[in-house]
Amino acid sequence: MSHDSQSARLRRSVRWLGTLVVLSLGILLILSRMDSSTNASAQAGDSEPPLRVPSNVAWTEETLAIVSNGDAFHGLLLARRCNHCHGEEGFSSVPVFPNLAGEDRLSFWKQMLDFRSGKRTSPVMQDVAAGLSAQDAADLAAYYSMLPIASDPQDNRSFPQPMQTPSQASIAIRLIIFGDGQRGIPPCQSCHGPVSYVRGAPPLATQNGGYLQEQLEHFSNGERTNDINIRMRSIARQLTAEERTAVAEYYGAGLGPGGNSR
Amino acid sequence: MKLKKQIGFAAALVLVGLVILSTRFNEVELPVWHFLGGGNGPDPATLHLRGEFVESNLGAAEGPAGSLTVRMIAQQFVFVPQCIVVPASVPVHFRITSADAVHMLSFVGASYGLKAVPGVVTEATFTFDRPGVFKAPCHEFCGSGHFAMRGQLEVVPRDQFSSLRPGERRTCEPR
Repeated sequence: MSHDSQSARLRRSVRWLGTLVVLSLGILLILSRMDSSTNASAQAGDSEPPLRVPSNVAWTEETLAIVSNGDAFHGLLLARRCNHCHGEEGFSSVPVFPNLAGEDRLSFWKQMLDFRSGKRTSPVMQDVAAGLSAQDAADLAAYYSMLPIASDPQDNRSFPQPMQTPSQASIAIRLIIFGDGQRGIPPCQSCHGPVSYVRGAPPLATQNGGYLQEQLEHFSNGERTNDINIRMRSIARQLTAEERTAVAEYYGAGLGPGGNSR
Repeated sequence: MKLKKQIGFAAALVLVGLVILSTRFNEVELPVWHFLGGGNGPDPATLHLRGEFVESNLGAAEGPAGSLTVRMIAQQFVFVPQCIVVPASVPVHFRITSADAVHMLSFVGASYGLKAVPGVVTEATFTFDRPGVFKAPCHEFCGSGHFAMRGQLEVVPRDQFSSLRPGERRTCEPR
């Protein structure tokens, strides 16, 4: 085995390797063109169930651009009508009316459009939203998102309200921070903050307990169905009534992570 | 000789790689050519508006000749539908996609796994032999709620399956 033939052998094996690599890349490219994702529609066994769409809002580039371009000053002018129920500073004086101060822009805008289209029902809000365009909703969203959430003893607000059953606080803490893996309930704070936020999920740290309780109940019994991809309905259905109350009261008392309980 | 050492090292690497790959045997990842060809799957932002993953079409659907297709969406941090019911000893075609991050639907006790990637539909066919209730945790880190992300799979005898909720896609979600 002379030095020459060994290097010649090396060169030959390198050529083989190179050909192999090029060939396999070529095969992969060809396969990628051939591969057609089979759209398994047109089932002749089961009939197609009637189409049910939870919300007409989708987070596309267009909708994100609309919401990002909200004019907060125009929102301030529009909000004069909203302050009757939702408070001068975005904190309402009635526990079942939501606080809007510090509200996430995307979730605010989505709820207004869902009220307009009827995907979310409310005896009051559907008429209100009918008089507001999508741009108005974006302006209001910008305004409310900028309102401070610090406590204000001089304001007539119903937040925070002390818990009616403080013994349930441990149930609430566990669900908010850890969720319940046994039932597949994710922790509230992983979507609603402050640990992390999921697009479209409103922050709950300064939200009224009465409103949260009502919404959780509506998600669980099917009265509210505008959550995209059945997310909140799945979670609320797994919670017991006691747990829904505990979590709502806990947040409403300002004890939730990121809240101000004065 | 140096060449022999190199070949030996390469062979050892290949062996280790094969051992690692063998543990992935039942986990369905997406073949790499899916990504080379460009996305032709559903837009993760509009799954709920149109297409086969609208919420009324999620769940188990019987196809022609008794084939069964289960459609699911993985999202942060729930699988939807959260409770799936399938018949025993029948091949079940799973089709899953993701609405946001990469998740993996896995079944405890059946050692199967399906990776859900946004923009692509992952499909695989599994057969569950024994009836029972299996947990379906998420097996790919997807965010702060990953460790609580879990669905449920119920395998029922074949004759019980046909009678479940006719007229809509079959799930065991509470009503």
